[in-house]
Amino acid sequence: MKGLLKNNFYATLSNVKVFSIIMFLFFVFVIIIDNRIPLLIISYMLLGMVGFSFNFIASLRKESVTKWSKYKLTVPVKRSEIVQSYFLSLFLWLVVGMIFAGIGVAFSVILHGFPFDRNTDIFMMFVVGVGISLFMGTIFFPLFYLGGEERSELFLVISLLSGVGFIMASSTCMNILFPEMNNIQIILCGVVILMTAFLMFVFSYLLTVYIYQKKEY
Amino acid sequence: MENILELHQVSKTFPKSNFMLENMTFSLPYGAILGFVGENGAGKTTTIGCILNTMKKDSGTIKIFGKEMLDEDTDMREKIGVVYDGDNFPAYWTIKQLSQVMEGLYRQWDHSLFQKYVEDFQLPIKQKIKHYSRGMTMKLAIAVALAHHPQLLILDEATGGLDPIIRDEMLDVFLEFVQEENHSILLSSHITSDLEKVADYITFIHNGKLIMTASKNDLAYNYAIIRCKESQFLALDPNDIVSFRKRDFQIDVLVANGKNVERKYKDIVIDHVSIDEIMLMLVKGEHR
Repeated sequence: MKGLLKNNFYATLSNVKVFSIIMFLFFVFVIIIDNRIPLLIISYMLLGMVGFSFNFIASLRKESVTKWSKYKLTVPVKRSEIVQSYFLSLFLWLVVGMIFAGIGVAFSVILHGFPFDRNTDIFMMFVVGVGISLFMGTIFFPLFYLGGEERSELFLVISLLSGVGFIMASSTCMNILFPEMNNIQIILCGVVILMTAFLMFVFSYLLTVYIYQKKEY
Repeated sequence: MENILELHQVSKTFPKSNFMLENMTFSLPYGAILGFVGENGAGKTTTIGCILNTMKKDSGTIKIFGKEMLDEDTDMREKIGVVYDGDNFPAYWTIKQLSQVMEGLYRQWDHSLFQKYVEDFQLPIKQKIKHYSRGMTMKLAIAVALAHHPQLLILDEATGGLDPIIRDEMLDVFLEFVQEENHSILLSSHITSDLEKVADYITFIHNGKLIMTASKNDLAYNYAIIRCKESQFLALDPNDIVSFRKRDFQIDVLVANGKNVERKYKDIVIDHVSIDEIMLMLVKGEHR
């Protein structure tokens, strides 16, 4: 399992190096510019949280161009552990993205004050970022094995759009159900969205294991 | 003699391509190298896929170290080294990263042994695998397969595409590996000269079917080809004929016991036969 996680890390490393530089430059730009444009900090946070996970998923294609996908099945790991390593890696990259987002927003608030209308907005930005990333993985991994690894780019786009769609649909539902929400209700809604995304992520893991058990190389 | 690997009546069907692996049965004893020969598409990789569980067999039994290997039998896979033809590992790895990944996968990963192979095979340490030549890639895969102290090596066309010098080096490594009496190698190849050099047994397959398994000594010392005319051919006892092939002015007949045949029939030309020729005769020849 440790070896699989290391491989997933090395697969993403070169892309993440470039992406981290971009994120750092964006971070510098965000903390230099006054936070009169909240869209800037929102973009930075979402890019950080979704970008690292996106980079990890995009890097999986590199594996499928070699025989590593087949070779992996001959090493002393179970198929379920291979799938587990993907889900865990995505989660870890999401945490890295959250750290980037957290540091950026913290510096911006310290230097320029609170940029949003409500106290709950920062929390909701995290809900959106985490929700998109988790749902992206939820959709991508089963498709990756079901539809063929060579179509991973298509599945990546589909899963990213699905992640955005999931968040938009969830927040629309919440707004329809509870039109006038106070801060506690907003936080509760955020928690419900996060829990839904997480449960779907877990369900997707079980589904992916099921699909992968039948996969032949 | 005890077997490290046993296949009994293994079948696998691919409905889309109509290819079928049919009742594959052979065994590999401890301390031996078994050459697995067949033309491209004969079913060598499918058989290996079934052995290693990268494919699911439809029926039959495969025993490795005396038991069927399931997905959860990670301890068994600890004792198996595998080399596939071509790029076995992701191109973005360096040797150091490869070793770190393998260390996290194999409990018995021996970093110093791996380093020794890397030095012996003169593999560049700082380059990424994507910059390796084909020969280097195969050497690296063999080094990885050996560096976790396996008992069974399964090599699927591992010497294909290598130049004769590197091939020779690798064959020496395989021969050294089977010096240990509990070590064995299943070596799939269509380069029969490699098998002539190292294999103890050879299994021939064609179109998904097993043709025969024989010891290399049997093939080398007992099998022979009779070059005869039609009239001589008709006089042959059908029991002596393994297969035959009609040429323009002669008929080539593969026989399993050249010495007996030589004594039995006068005025016939008997030649020694290479594994290549045996394969051709078995695959393209007719059977009585």
